[in-house]
This record gives sequence, C-alpha cells and structure tokens, in this order.
Amino acid sequence: MLLLVITLLLSLITGCWDSREIENRATILAIGIDNADSNAEEKEDEINHLNGKIQIPEGRMIELTVQIAIPGRIPLGPQIGGGEKSPVLVVRAVGHTLEDALLNIQQEVATEVFLGHLRLIVLHEELAREGVGRFTDYLRRNPQIRRTASLVISKEKASEYMEIRPELERVPSLYLAEMVDSLIQMGKFPPTFIGMFWSILSSKGQDAYLPYFKIKGKSNIQINGLAYFKGDKMVGKTQPLQIGSFMAGIGAKQGGYGVFIKAPEMEQVVLVRAVKRKTKVKASLKNGKPYILVKVHYESEIEEVDSTHPSHIKKEYLPSFEKEFSREASQSLEKLIAETKESKSDIFGFGEHFRAKLPKYWNKQVKTKERWQDIYENLSCEVEVSTKIRRTGMKAK
Amino acid sequence: MADSKEVTTVQAATILISTIIGVGVLPLPLFAVRAGETGAPFITLLGITIAAFGLFIVTKLGIRYSDKSIITYSEEILGKWLGRFFSLFVIMFFAILTALAAREFGAVVITAVLLETPLEVTVLVMLLLAAISARNTMNTFAYIHNFYIPIILAPVLIIVALSLKNANFLNVRPFLSSNIEDSFFGALTIAALFQGSFIMTLIIPSMKNPKSAMKASWWAIFISGGLYLLLVLATVAIFGVEEIKRLYWPTLELARTTSLPGNVLQRLDVIFISVWVIAVFTTIFATYFLTIHSVKQLFRLQDHKMLAYFMLPFIFILAMVPQNIVQLYDVIKVAGRAGLLVTIIYPAVLFMIDVLKSKRRKKGESKQA
Repeated sequence: MLLLVITLLLSLITGCWDSREIENRATILAIGIDNADSNAEEKEDEINHLNGKIQIPEGRMIELTVQIAIPGRIPLGPQIGGGEKSPVLVVRAVGHTLEDALLNIQQEVATEVFLGHLRLIVLHEELAREGVGRFTDYLRRNPQIRRTASLVISKEKASEYMEIRPELERVPSLYLAEMVDSLIQMGKFPPTFIGMFWSILSSKGQDAYLPYFKIKGKSNIQINGLAYFKGDKMVGKTQPLQIGSFMAGIGAKQGGYGVFIKAPEMEQVVLVRAVKRKTKVKASLKNGKPYILVKVHYESEIEEVDSTHPSHIKKEYLPSFEKEFSREASQSLEKLIAETKESKSDIFGFGEHFRAKLPKYWNKQVKTKERWQDIYENLSCEVEVSTKIRRTGMKAK
Repeated sequence: MADSKEVTTVQAATILISTIIGVGVLPLPLFAVRAGETGAPFITLLGITIAAFGLFIVTKLGIRYSDKSIITYSEEILGKWLGRFFSLFVIMFFAILTALAAREFGAVVITAVLLETPLEVTVLVMLLLAAISARNTMNTFAYIHNFYIPIILAPVLIIVALSLKNANFLNVRPFLSSNIEDSFFGALTIAALFQGSFIMTLIIPSMKNPKSAMKASWWAIFISGGLYLLLVLATVAIFGVEEIKRLYWPTLELARTTSLPGNVLQRLDVIFISVWVIAVFTTIFATYFLTIHSVKQLFRLQDHKMLAYFMLPFIFILAMVPQNIVQLYDVIKVAGRAGLLVTIIYPAVLFMIDVLKSKRRKKGESKQA
C-alpha cells in the first residue's frame, strides 16, 4: 500500500505536460499570406514532404510572413510610441498549404510556435481572388485560433503589412487589429471577424465580405472599401462610401458615413452624417419570381455647412435635406446591389431571407448556394429610404 | 436501506440538474442540427419531452415503492430472477455511460486544452475523482451537487447572454424543416443526453418526503431542458446551421466567439471549460454512484466503499475501448439510443405490470370481501 502511494506521488512530480513558459513560446501575433513566386518550389526545403516522392496539394504555393512577439519587448500598460527596437520579429516561409508553411517556419524558430494570440490575418487580394477556402480548414481545426481574430484583404502584398511600423502603437499587428475593431465601433464597417466570415461562407443564402486595406504614405493604413466574395473567391471591391450603403442593406445599426447634400433652397452644400439606421428586408414572391423590398430608415445629423459665404439653415430646409439624403442613399444602395448582382455575390444575405421565410420556395427552386447565386443575378429588388434629421450641431444658425 | 432520509426536495432537484448537464452540452447543437437543420430547437424540445416522460415514469414508480430503488422493486414486480437479470443490464449500461462520459471528456480536453497530456491521464484522473467521491453517503452526495449547481448554471447563462449580440435570428427559421423520421431519431439522441436523470430511482428512498419527488423531477427537467434549449437556440442563431455541421463542439466555439465587454477577457472558453469540467464531474460522479449502489443492492452487500475502487479498472478499460473520436461518437450515439430501452422502456414496462398487478390484487380483495 505504501509502495502504491509512493509510485502515485512519483508520477505527480513530473509536473504538467502542457506547461510552457511565455518566453519559451513563439507567439505569432499576425499572419500575412501571399502568393509565392514561381520559383518558390525550389526555395522550399524538404521539411514536410520529399520532392517528387509524395503527393503534394495542387494549387499555387503560398508565402507566409508572420510577426512573432519578442518576449520582454511587448510593453505592458500605457504605451510610448515607436521605440528604437522592434518588439516583433518578422519571419517568412513558403509552403503548399498554411500548415505546411507554418511548419517550415517552426523549423526556423527555436521555440514552439503558438497561435493563441493571433489577432490578424492579412490576405493579399491576388490570392483572395483565387479562393480562400483552402485556408479555412486548418484555421477551424486548430484549437488555438480565436474565432474573434480579424481577417482582412490587402491591396499591396500582405508581407508589407507585416513590416509596416505604425507610429501610434509599438506593436504593429496590435495596431492593425485595433484599427479593425475601432472601425466597427465607429460605424465605418459592419462587425466582422473570422468566425463570422466562416459562418457566412458556409451559409447557403449569403456571400462573404471582408474589409479591404490599402497602405497610405509611409506607415498609414486606410480602409479602402469592402471586398466581396462569390463562394470563397473574391470577385470585387467597393468604394469606401459604399460600405455605408452596404451596412444599410444588411441592417447594421451604427451609422458612420456622411455625404454632401445639396438642397435646391440653399446655395451651399451641407455634410449630413448618418447616426443610426433601421433596416427592414421583405422577401416575397411576385408571379413566382423572388422579389426583395429593402426599407431603410436613417436618423442623421448635420455636421458641417460649407460656409464660403454666410448662410444659415432654416426650419423649412430640413425636409428638403431629408429628401435629398434619402435619394442619395437609395441611389447608392441600388448601385451597390446592381454591382454585386453582376458579380453574383449576395453579400446582403437576401437569400437567407428566402430560406428562412419562404422555405417551400427555397426547397423547391433553390436548395444550393450556387443556384441562389444564379438567381440573385436577376433578382428584382426595390429600395425605399426615409430620413429624419434630428440635430444640427452646436451652431444655432 | 439503512441511509437516513435527509435529502430535501430542492436537493433532489439539484442532483438531477447537475447530473443531466454533463459532457453532452458540447456536441448537443451538432446532434440537434444534424437531425433537424434549422428545426434544431424543435428537435431539442421533442427530446426534452421524451426525457421528461421517462423521468416521470421513474419517479412515479419510485413513489409507489418509496423505500426501494429500481434494483430492489424490480424483483418484486417481475419476480426474483427476472428482476435481477434486468438489473444487470441497468448496471452494465450505467457503467458504460460513465466510461463514455469520461472518455468524451478526455477527448475534448486533449484536443482543445491540454494538447500534450496523455488521454489516459485525463480520463483516469476524472474517474479516480469520481470513485473517491462516490465512497461518500447519499447525504454528502446531495451536498456536493447542491454546492456545484450555481457554478454550473451561472457562467453558461452569462456566456449565452453575452454571445447573443452576434445572433442572427434568420438562422433559426424555418422552425420545422426535416421529415418525421429524422426528427424522431434526432429527438431520441437528444433524449439520451438526459439519461442521468435515472439517478432519481436512487434518490427517492433517501428523500425526506418522497411524495414531493414529482415536483423535484419537473423542476429539474424544466431547468436543465431550458438550458439545453437556450444553448441550441443561441448556437444556431449565431453560427447558422451549415457552420454548426462543421464543428464538433459548437457550444465550445460559442464560448470562444464570445468576449467580455471592454476586452477584459477576449475569449471565454477558458471559463467555460473549467465550468464544464465541474459539470462533467458531477455527471460522472452521479452515474458512478448509481452504478456501485446498484451493484451493492443487487448482491445485497453491506458497504459500497471498497466497491468504488473495485469498479474503477473495469470502467477505465471500457473508456479506452473506442479507437478514435469518430468511433467514439458513433458508439455514444448507439449506446445512447439503446440506453433509452433501459432508462425509459424498462421502467415503463415495470410500471404497467405493477399497475395491472395492483388492480388484480384489488379485484381479488374485493371478491374476497
């Protein structure tokens, strides 16, 4: 009995199998994925497969650029911008798949690669147009990946985003991730994170969308529009202002974009900004054909009056502004719908409305995502917009 | 039974709730969605109804024989040998149920949290814990469950509430969407997740007031069923049916998608996993307790304490039988549905025979008089 107790106790002193100290982890904060050069195959060493001996996946090779946090250099608490030493290490590798490339990176890094703090994945546009489905499998399978990480599309090569040094924050990838979060909070972009992207990607009646980034100047990054997908392939991008229209289409509450409005009664233009909106989508069948009615209601305020010559807003002008704003908004939304129709990309999720509300029609006529994309191309659609301007700011006139 | 009768109605209800809520919460939405697409909440409701029916019968029987458990009164109803024969099935089934729960627990833990820890260790530690705790008496058993119940319920409710901000209620419509056959089998799988409620047969003999057992049963089904329904609704509304089909443990993903406001905690799966470990422990503890007490009663033993360790190797070996996770879930599905024979059909048959017998007895008495 005593012997038994001793052996049991002995087994305990070996400690925890999974204990890894922070400094023994290569914590990856961000990943950038690009298409590899054509000679990449020669660059890859024989780590996960022997050349020519084992079946390798078809499709172009990818180049992975990762930011690894350097222990001790990540500041805690309030941050003083841009120190001399970079808090991150940038490592690159090529591979046939995501895991293949990550294992190649592991081969170069002494400590174990850890993905639990991954905040951002940047995909190059060129690669996104060829399809992103090939990356989702690994990311879904890996228990370390957070579903709340951000996924963005970049105009430039994704590797450039990994090397950029923003002035506002010491850790570049955190700056980028924070940017996505605050854009969502300010109403500049609808809520998006990788888990949501997956859900939409697998749903039958909606196509996915992602933020589209562009580098401005030396170290600034701009949200330059919305990349929309057909299936897992990116098929187009919108202008930044159209993101506002898109948010109206899907019914995101938070408004953020403003437009110049010119009312006939007034000579100057005024900048009206959407504050809140409410969207109702009605799906119905007209003569057996699907028909969508989108009703959007805006709550807005006037933010600026172009004041090259003196003027003030009269009470009677407001309805006219409202009308103009509604007209602009509905035109812009119609244009966006038309553009996505052309690419057969139902980012608004109108198909989901049919699936949910008209199951009989859906089961008989549609059933698959591909079929819905075809129907969406010729979907008849109407937009109604109403606006209320509630405030005009602190200026009395 | 020599045990003092001290279990209150509230305690009985909490034992049932914490026994029902167990490993099953993780794959529950997947089971429901596989069977019913967007009708998953409806399937769950159907499953709850079937489970409630089973628990109703077990409780009813228990009240009729308020001093005995199913092991002892089955001998009275079916005759000594037939009753013992079926009791063997009950014991075997709950041994298997304990083993499968421990194994499923181990599988989740080593895939999601402790990647390097051997499966055997996680399973063995959990079983050992259950075995040590199962040495206690019925009263301690009741206290342990009572103690853990708020820790199990509160965090799950908080996670569901916080996650709902990403919900899209188009995802749960249409409410009915699969054929009757699929719905029925799906509902059986869901009902199988409630099998822990069979523990009621062991609680009733120790209750202060066995007549109020029915009340405890209803509350238990209401609360645990409500929680299950809420989880299915939330996961389907957030992920959508198609996404859930691609996830082994949608409930865990729900916790991973949810963050506390203000970036205090960016993912709640850590909290959820620790709560879930407790929930699994209470379930395994209860089924283990049920198994050894049934053995004790079947063989008319005086003490159940040594039996707790004696059963351990058998259950551990049973837990190690499935070769991989795919096989594991196949076994769980089959064992769960087959188990309904033990936990619902068998008591139902007992109940019917008993009612017929007592009627005949009454007739006989009235003829004599």
